[in-house]
Formats: sequence, structure tokens, C-alpha cells
Amino acid sequence: MSDGKYFSTTKRGEIHELKEELRSLDRPKKKDAVKKVIAAMTVGKDVSMLFPDVVNCMQTDDLELKKLVYLYLINYAKTQPDLAIMAVNTFVKDSQDPNPLIRALAVRTMGCIRVDKITEYLCDPLQRCLKDDDPYVRKTAAICVAKLYDINPELVEDRGFLDMLREMLSDANPMVVANALAALQEIQELAGSGGKDLLQMTSQTLNKLLAALNECTEWGQVFILDSLAAYDTRDPRDAEKIAERVLPRLQHVNSAVVLSAVKVILRCMDVVALGPGGGEETIKAWSKKMAPPLVTLLASEPEVQYVALRNINLIVQRRPAILANEVKVFFCKYNDPLYVKMEKLEIMIRLASDKNIDQVLLELKEYAQEVDVDFVRKSVRAIGRCAVALEKATERCINVLLELIQTKVSYVVQEAIIVIKDIFRRYPNQYESIIATLCDNLDSLDEPEAKSSMIWIIGEYAERIDNADELLEAFLETFPEETAMVQLQLLTATVKLFLKKPTESAQKMISAVLSCATNETDNPDLRDRAYIYWRLLSTDPEAAKDVVLAEKPVIADDSSTLDPSLLEQLVSRYLATVAAVYHRPPETFVSRQRMAVTRAEELGSRKFEEEDGSTPGTMVSDNNAAAAAGAAAAAAATTVGDLLDLSDASPVPVPPAAAPVATSVAARGLDDLLGGLDLGGPTISSSMAAAAAAADPFAALANPSPAPIALGISPAALSQLPVLLGNPGGVSVQGRLVRQGGQAVYQLALRNDTLAPVDGLMIQTNRNSFGLSPVSQVLAVSSPAGGAIPPGGLAPVRVPLLVDPAKVTPPPLNTGLQVALRTNQVGVLYFNDTVPLSALTEETGSMEAADFLAAWKALPPEVSTRLPLAVPSAEVAKQRLAAANLFVLAHRQVPATGQDAIYATCRITAGGVGQVLLELKFVAGAGGVDVSVKAQRQDVAQLVFDGLPAVLLGAA
Amino acid sequence: MISQFYILSSRGDVIIRKDYLGDVPRTSSEIFFRNAKFWKEGDGEAPPVFNVDGVTYLYIKEGGVQLVATTRTNLSPSFVLEFLKRICTIVKDYCGFLSEDAIRKNVVLIYELLDEVVDYGFPQSTATEALKQFVVNEPTVVAPAFYQAKPLFSLSKGPTGVFKSVLDTNRTDGKRRDEIFVDVVERITCTFNASGYVASAQVDGAVQIKSYLAGNPPIKIKLNDDVLIGKRDTPYGLDRAAERGHMVVLDDCNFHEVANLDNFDVDRTISLVPPDGEFALMNYRTTHGFRPPFRLHASMDADPNSEYKALMTLRLWCEIPPDKAANGLEVEVPTPRWVQRVHCDLEGGGGTGGGKAAAAAAAAAAQNWDYNEKTHLLRWRFKRCAGSSEFTLRARLTLEKPYGSSLRTEVGPVNLRFTIPMYSASRIMLKYLQILKKAEKNYNPYRWVRYVTTSNSYTFRT
Repeated sequence: MSDGKYFSTTKRGEIHELKEELRSLDRPKKKDAVKKVIAAMTVGKDVSMLFPDVVNCMQTDDLELKKLVYLYLINYAKTQPDLAIMAVNTFVKDSQDPNPLIRALAVRTMGCIRVDKITEYLCDPLQRCLKDDDPYVRKTAAICVAKLYDINPELVEDRGFLDMLREMLSDANPMVVANALAALQEIQELAGSGGKDLLQMTSQTLNKLLAALNECTEWGQVFILDSLAAYDTRDPRDAEKIAERVLPRLQHVNSAVVLSAVKVILRCMDVVALGPGGGEETIKAWSKKMAPPLVTLLASEPEVQYVALRNINLIVQRRPAILANEVKVFFCKYNDPLYVKMEKLEIMIRLASDKNIDQVLLELKEYAQEVDVDFVRKSVRAIGRCAVALEKATERCINVLLELIQTKVSYVVQEAIIVIKDIFRRYPNQYESIIATLCDNLDSLDEPEAKSSMIWIIGEYAERIDNADELLEAFLETFPEETAMVQLQLLTATVKLFLKKPTESAQKMISAVLSCATNETDNPDLRDRAYIYWRLLSTDPEAAKDVVLAEKPVIADDSSTLDPSLLEQLVSRYLATVAAVYHRPPETFVSRQRMAVTRAEELGSRKFEEEDGSTPGTMVSDNNAAAAAGAAAAAAATTVGDLLDLSDASPVPVPPAAAPVATSVAARGLDDLLGGLDLGGPTISSSMAAAAAAADPFAALANPSPAPIALGISPAALSQLPVLLGNPGGVSVQGRLVRQGGQAVYQLALRNDTLAPVDGLMIQTNRNSFGLSPVSQVLAVSSPAGGAIPPGGLAPVRVPLLVDPAKVTPPPLNTGLQVALRTNQVGVLYFNDTVPLSALTEETGSMEAADFLAAWKALPPEVSTRLPLAVPSAEVAKQRLAAANLFVLAHRQVPATGQDAIYATCRITAGGVGQVLLELKFVAGAGGVDVSVKAQRQDVAQLVFDGLPAVLLGAA
Repeated sequence: MISQFYILSSRGDVIIRKDYLGDVPRTSSEIFFRNAKFWKEGDGEAPPVFNVDGVTYLYIKEGGVQLVATTRTNLSPSFVLEFLKRICTIVKDYCGFLSEDAIRKNVVLIYELLDEVVDYGFPQSTATEALKQFVVNEPTVVAPAFYQAKPLFSLSKGPTGVFKSVLDTNRTDGKRRDEIFVDVVERITCTFNASGYVASAQVDGAVQIKSYLAGNPPIKIKLNDDVLIGKRDTPYGLDRAAERGHMVVLDDCNFHEVANLDNFDVDRTISLVPPDGEFALMNYRTTHGFRPPFRLHASMDADPNSEYKALMTLRLWCEIPPDKAANGLEVEVPTPRWVQRVHCDLEGGGGTGGGKAAAAAAAAAAQNWDYNEKTHLLRWRFKRCAGSSEFTLRARLTLEKPYGSSLRTEVGPVNLRFTIPMYSASRIMLKYLQILKKAEKNYNPYRWVRYVTTSNSYTFRT
């Protein structure tokens, strides 16, 4: 029987019909109905209204029917937990069913209902199932612990589930071991780096895992190998033992097992190298065994190959010996996808040596004549990189490049000239004989990089080229139209020519170029450089020679070499992970967070959607957009976290001279000013900074109306605003909420990446906890093009927000803010942001110290937490709190603990939060700040906890 | 771990969707499709692993659909890709075939399987065999439309020629047919340099098994005795071992976990209990001691009568044994843009033996050519190309500018595509396939052993 027929029912009243059928007493009919429901569910139809009827079918001893109902439940458990909780009694009953399949099914499904309420029902069945006789139930229960941790970590610890998981590592069934391990790893990751080591790897667990390695499924083997790689041993004997057990895994069919095994063995190599004699023999033997399996990976599908190649790229940088003799296997096949070819090229360059360079060059020359332009360009570059890296082979490389230039294919010629410039930089005064050939191809140059390379060569070797002045003159004809890159190079080359051959024509050229570059350009770089040359030449031509014709440092091929510490980190810790594919540390892309947080966002976005119906006009939404907005918020939340971390590591340099201004200008604004004027250096005085900002045409543009406080964002600072909506190819939005002039203000920068002007901009916020809403929905974009953002343009906008009591959502407080932006051209855009604490706290929110004491006593009990922050000193903390309108009322030392205690208060009228009292205790310079919060409403505490890190780190 | 899994049709519709962690929005499928289709860097395909706004997308393409997984964590990408591949295999095993149609007809069954295969984003048991006990739905087997008209051996990719669900072995009615397919599938990669010598050559092979045996009896397979594996067996180097005679020398190989290799080093036998469905028992790779099945020589001359013409001659030798033949051989010659038209004359098929004229005529009928003036591709096709034969194509090229010697280097490289049934380039052989411990005496299931060699990348540079 085909499932296909279930999809054909789209007529009206179908839900009603299904309802009838589900209530039918005829079992096949019932089953059919459930199948229809599931079919509808899979194509995205909402059949949640049938929930009670479907759940009624659950009480059956027909396994097939039961499974179908569970299939339905699992799907709605996540999105409609309130419904799923209705079925909880059946779950509990099923978790004691004689059939292990049903027991497992019940526990699995319960874990998928991600609401706090389920946990009280889940714990007992889970505890039973963890000790079940049937391994299938046990392994399902192990994963369920990870699910529960996501909902309620404290509960997992309190009930001792973590200890039970650890015990399960010695289970007789390898599948159970693998799942217990996987669950522990997952929990470790959720707990973050701050969490304690859950695995507690001892030599005993190590032995258990090594024993299970042979028996496990391939997926389990990867889990075990990953935990072995994370095991930090310093004992070479341990390492040898591990490696010996892991080496046979290299023969596995599954590429993930092979790569994880490679990772473990590389780790072991590092440890063995610490041992007696540096473990050379051992390392050599292991290296030999690693090469064939790595090469075999290249015989798999292109997808797997790609991942393998990215990893191999790292391995050959760290341990070149392993694949030194295998360069041939990295030669490209004509039917490889482009992404594989590009990676192979990269590895070919790395493996190129004096021994194999002839072979490699022959290949590269072939590639340079293929059809795909990107690949051809990269191949030509590869030849140049080989020349720069291998001195003995340079001449051969140059010959190949010259042959390629003879093909007269425009992009090949241009690419060749670019790399020849690099070769000249690397080996000065050795290969000038080929300049004549290059000069024959001037006409085909139309790309800026190739042009400026050629101009550099002419300038650098002006004395050897008889008609250098003519050549340059030809380029100069189009000087005003060239890109900045070419203009700069032309300017320098002309000066070089003049210094080397001060002929009359050179003199004429130099004065023409200098006047053009100083008077007729609006590029400050070009203008400044021209002025410097001008002054040098007019005051002391000899000094000019010393400066312009100075000896240049030798270059090396580092175009794609990774920073050594990053490489070390990627090879020893992150090999075989996504990080090794991106060649970036995981912090830069991992955005995982605990479910509870995401769920809140989801719910928020659902409300957003509901509300849309009632607000006519500006906002159009559908399911998808709202969900996307939810995700964007999740992403945004984590980026903010990252930014804070960064600013912690590198404090914003605030010159002391600027400090007084800080009090009069909102703190953030000042940072922006300084950020924008980075070039000016620290000597610039604060008044000058302000003046310069005012003179900056961009800043003036940003502030068309006489607003009380200027947006005052320089272009450089604009681009540093957090990205709220990254939408390359459309309109992207950057911005942040700050407090200015007694109200919350959105500083936004809108970038138009479309090809047409964008206008008709309007902004609206969704209902939120604080009732924040724009004063005016129409965005006053000030740009040369009137109210429109020109294509490629970046428009700064200042949006004052007011508190609209009608837009306040009921408790609990949520810092999420959903914003819709309407344009005439690209429709409605949505993005999510979080409201920072400092945008809400009011300037007049202080109180008397005595009142504070009274209020502290009168309010309900405080909520406390410990924030993982380090505060350098109490004074700094006070300053930062004050800057965020958190008024410090008292400060005392706690002698018993050596802590500083600070008492502060703030008022937030928005959303009816009211007065908030805070107590902060910390040891200056050490990690950890204990925060206690008292307020009329209990849900305020979380808001403060979330917002305080930004304040204390001085980022607000 | 894996946050979501979905199967997308070629138009980007979601056919199957599972959300495991709930930390990636539903719309990610649209974000994926847009990014994969219009990859920003150049016009190449999107790499199989990429990141958009903190979400990592991993995908593979098979049977006209895309299988996608998303995650926010730093997991092992090959782990996910291998897992997606495994899902393909499971779908094939249970539905008989992987295509959009087959998936749509078996949605409920696939969901049921997926629920067993992944829990909370963690892959569980993915063995086809082990899953059988958890599955209660019936498959709807859909054979692909193109297949029905063709005989079993015409397909190029080994055991895919069988479209049958593993659940068939559970049947108790008379329709059950016990059979096992063992296929030796080899893909050749070969590059010849301009002077006709082999620049690099490699055979990637696999012993693929597709088993439909009720009760899963153990089986035993024997390979040729003279198989040598890697440096372990040939301390003096692989080349020397290969020179010494008809030995099959493998650079490296790996085995499926069911393989019992206790006797492998003694007599090259592998015993195993084949799980239901399709799996690769052994993968191997060799770069030594095999003979490329085709050679080609291209020459280019000026036309004495017209400077706007050139004469190109391609000679092709098929060097497999005379009793074998290649199917669907296609020779592809890219020509430079300034070639306007091409006209070709075909001859050949002459074996080394007698009766040349008659054979030539017969063979000429089975080959044809065409020239695409837009892509400037000259294609020379053969329906069937018998071993030990020789073919010639003489092409007259009409040029836009006068003939120059650079034309010779601008033509090419020449690519070949072919399938040779019942032939293994590495000479690896299955000596026997035994079914041990039969449940009943007359139990004699069908045993199929097949060989097939196909071109992976077979290129002649000019």
C-alpha cells in the first residue's frame, strides 16, 4: 500500500473527517486515519487540533498503531509542549511496559517534550530505565539524560544521573557505552568551559573505553576516539598504549573513524616526543602507517574528500613528513568539483619540494590551460608561490610563467604578471631579463591588481627599461579614472622614475601627477602620500632617495599560512571537526546555547506572529519569517557575548584627556568618536576629536535634524556596530540600543547592497516587555539621494524610542526586541535584538541611602547568582555602574571574605519594573561577582543578571 | 550534535524533515537552498560544509535529492557526511531505490526509520539488519522509470541494478526470492601525458555486497591467491612485486566491520555473516601493475589545400581481452573557440585478426560523432567497443583564423568515459562464494558475482 495516497486529501472538512475516523472502533480504519494525520503533518499542515483524538489511540497493544502515535507525539512534543504534557500518564505507564521497545519509546518521547513541567514526571521512569535489563532501553535512557540536562541541569546533578552515566561507561553493551559517552560529552559542552570535567578520565575508564572501541558501531567509535583525543596524558607509555589500540582503526571504511583516529595518533605523537630520545622511531613508524589511509580518503565521494583535504592541509603543515612522498595523489582530476580542485592545489603547493617540483610544475601548467577561470588563476598563482618558496626552482617556474604569457589569454597573462612581481620582490635583481617580455603585454592589462603590479615593476626597474617614461606616461593618461590601488602605485612609480632618471619628461610627469593627486582627488591616502613626496622632493631630494628607494625586506610565501598558535590549536585539539574545515577556532562560529534560552525566543516569536493579525498595515509576516527572526535573535545574543569577551581581552584605550568629556556625552558615543578617529593617535585632544567629528561630513549627515545629542558616529565606527541583520545582496542592518538624552535610542546603520536605491523606510517594534516603540515610524534617512539609500550606500539613522504602555507584554520580563523594517523595494525585514540594561536605566533613578536600607528590608527576598566576571577594582566597577545609570550608594569591605561590597540602585519605569536594588560582592581582580537583586517583581533579577556583565565590562 | 536533518527535492521542497535539538529555525532549509544554489564564491558548487549565521550546513547529493544536516556545534563533519551517506543506503535498502518519488511514497516508513537511527541528534544503530526489528511499516518499492526497459547489466554502477526492499526476506509467502549479489566495482583514474605515457594511474575498487538471504547464513569469499597488500607484503617495494608476474598488488585496503579476516593472510578468504542490504565489504586502491584499458593518439596537421582548415586524427586502441567489450564509450575532445565546424570520417573496428573489412563495416555502424558548435566539443561515441580493436577518427576542422601550430596544444585534453562489464582492471577475482551452515539441505539461494570497471577520470593530455 502506498503512503502517497494519504497526501491527496486537501478538501474541506478533512480535519473533521479524520476526527471521526480516529474515533472509529475499527482498528485498521483507525490506523489508516493516524497515517493520514502523519502524512499531513509531514507536508507541514497543522494537525495539532487532532491531538486529543490521536492521544486516545495511544492506549493500545497494537505496536504499529502505538508507534505511529508516538511519531505524531514526537513531532508536536517540541512545538506544542502544553499539549504533549496531556499524554504524560500514558508515557509513565508505557515506561513500565513489558515490551522493551515500548519502554524505550516512552522514555525517548518524554525527553523530547522540552518543558520544565515534564521533568517531575520524567525523573522516576528515567531512573528505572537507566537500570533496565534491556540494553536498548538503557542506551535510549542514556541519551535522555542529555535531553533532561538541557531542560534542567540542576535536577540531573541532584538525582545523580551523571554518576549513573559514568557507571554506564563500563556497561557490557558497547552501544550503551557509546551513548553514555556521547551524553556526557554533550552535557560537558552545554555546561561550557566553566563546567567541571565530567568524564573524569582515569586509567580505568581509559581501559574500558579502549576495550569498547573494537566492539562499537562506527558512530560509537568516533565518540570514543574523540574522548581519547581529549584525554590529556603526559606519559609516553600511556600514549603508546592508546596509539597501538587506535592504529587498526585507520583501516576502517568510515572516513570519520579514520580522521578521528588520525587525530588521536597525532596527539599521541606529541606526547611520545616528550619521552626518551624524542620517540623518533615510534613517530616514524606511526607516520608510515598513517599515509596510506589518508590517501585512501581521496578515493571517496567528493564531499568526504573535501573534508579530508581540509584536514590534510593542516596535517602537512604540522607534520610534513607524513605525506612528503605522496604529492601525486593530490593531482586534480578533470571531473573533480571546483572546491576539491582548489584544496588539492593548496596541498600541492605545500608538498612541492626540490625533488618533485618538475612534476608539480607540469601539472600546474596543464591546469593553467583549463577552462574554469578561477581554477586557472589559482594555478598560475600556485606557480608563483612555488617560485617564492623554492629558490632552486625559481628559474623553471619563471619559464613556465613565460610560456603561459605567450598564450595571450588575458586573465592568464594578468595573473602571471602579478606573481612575477612577487618573484621580483623575493629575488631582487636576478630575473630582470624577462621584463621586455612583460612589457609586450601591457595592452591586455585591465585588472587593477595586474596593472599596479606591472607599474610597480616599471618603477622598481626604471633604470633598466629604456622607455620606462613612455610606458608610465601611457598609464598616466587614465590616472583620474583608475582605482586607488593603481593610482597609489602610479604615484610611487613616477617618483621612483624621477629619482632614478631625472630627465625632463620625468620632471613633467612628476609635477603633473603630484598636482593631480593633491588637487583633484578626494582620496585622503593618495592626497597625503602625494604631499609627503612633494615635500620630500622639494626639501631634500637625497633624503627622498633614501626613503623611496630604500631596500625592501624580503618576502616569503605566507598567503595561506596559518598563525602558528592557531595551527597548533587546530591540529592538536580540533582536527576532524568543523573548525578544521573552516580553519578557524570554534569560538568564531559555534553558536550553541541551552534549549531553555532558545525556547523563550521561539515563544516570543510566536507571540509576534499572533499579534500581527491585530496590527494592520506596516507589518506582513508568516510563520517562516517569525521563526527566522527567532533564530536571528539567538545568533545575535551569542554575537553580543563574543563581543564582550573581546572587549574584555583588549580594553578600549581611552586617553585620559578625553575622560572629562565622558561625563557629558553618553559613554558609548564617546567610544565611537574615538574609534572613528583611531588614525589620529592618542595625542589628539578631546576637543579636537569633537571638532573633527563635527567636521566629518558623514557625522553631519547622520544628524540632519537638530537633535539634542548628535548620533556622532564616524563611518569607521558605523561599520563596527553589531550586525542585527546580515543580508548580503539585500538590505543589511547594524546597530545597537543606547540611552541618550533620557530615552532609549536605536543607532542604526542600514546598508543597501541591492542595485537600486531603497526608500520608503519605516520601522516598528513588536510588543515587548518594556513597551519600547519608535517615536516616529518613518525613518529619516539623510543621504544625498533624498530619503533613499543609494545602491552600495550606508545610511546612519537615529531612532528615538518611547515607552508605550499599550505595547507592554505581560510578565515574565524578556529582553528580546523584535523589530520590523519596511522598505518599498525589498519588502519587510525582521530582526531580533536584545535590550541592554543600560538602555533602560533612568538618569534620575537614584535614591537616598537611608531609603535604600528601608526598601531592602521591605522588599521580598533577594535573588542571587554568581556571574563569571573579573572586576579589576572597586573604583572601576563604580565608574562603570555609574555610566550605566546604576547609582552606587555605598561601598564597604567585607573583612571576613576580603570582598568588596557595592550597593547600587536603578529605576526602570519601562514595563513597570520600578526601583531595583543591587548588591555586588567581589574580590578585585579575581573571577566571580556575586550579585543579589531585590525588586518588587521577581522576574527583574534575570534582566539584571543578563545585563550586568556588559555594564561591568565597560562595554555598555 | 546534529540539530536538524532534511531531504530536499531538486527544486528545494522539503520532503522529509526532522528537528532534533530545536536550536535552528525551520527556515534553515530555505537558507540552505539559496546558499547552495547561488554560492557566493565564483560559480562553482557550494562546498559540502559551510556556515551561514552561525549554523553549519552539511549536505550530500544522491538520486536527485539533497540530504542536509545542520548544527551549531563543532562536531566532526566527516561523521555527519558519512551518516548522511548511510541514510541513503538505508533508504535504498528499505525502499529498493533512492529517488524523490521513492521517498514521497514511503514517508511514514522513512520517519519510522529516522526515529530509530537518530536520537536527539546522535546517530544510533544504523545497520540495515538491526533496524528490521523496529520497523512495522510496509515499503512501497518504486523502480526507476528508466530502468524497466533495460536488462540487468546495462547499469554502470554495480549492485544498484537491483531494486528490492530488504523487508522482502521477512516474507513467508511464495514470492520470497533469496539471493545475494557480490559485485567487484572498479573505477579507473588515469592521466596520459602528451607523449602518450601514463602520468598517473589508479584503480579505486570495492567489493560490494547486496544480500537478501533469509536467516542470514554465514558466507565465505575467496580472492585470488596472489593478492598482495601494501608494504606489509612487499618489503622490496610495490613496483618490483608487480613486475614479477601476474600479481594483484594493492596499495591499501580496508574492510567492513563484519569481515572476519582470521584466514585472510593464509588463504585470502574472508568469512562473514552478511547483514541485510547493501554494504561495501572491502575497499581497495592500487596504482601498480595494471594495464590501462584504452590508449589514444592524437595528431594535428595543416590542410595542404586551405590555410583555414586543419586535419586531426585520433587513433584509439582498446586493449582489454577480445572476449570483453566496453559499453557506452565516449571520447570527448574540447576544441578552441576559433574552430567553427568539424566534419569527421570514422573507420576501424579492425581487430588484430583477419576479415578486417567486414569487421570494420560492422564496427563503424556502432560508432558515431557529433560536434557542438556552441560548446566546441567534439564527441565520438561507441555503442559497444570490443577488446583488442583499433579505431580511427579523421576530423577536418574549419577555422576562423589561419592554422597555427598552437592549435595542437589548444585542443584537448581528451576525456574518455566508459563501462566495461565483467572486467576488473586490477585483475582481482572472486574465486568462490560459499554459503555455510545452511538451515535446510536444499537451501540454494541465487548467487550473483559480477565485475564492472568504469572510468572515473580518464584523460589524455595534448
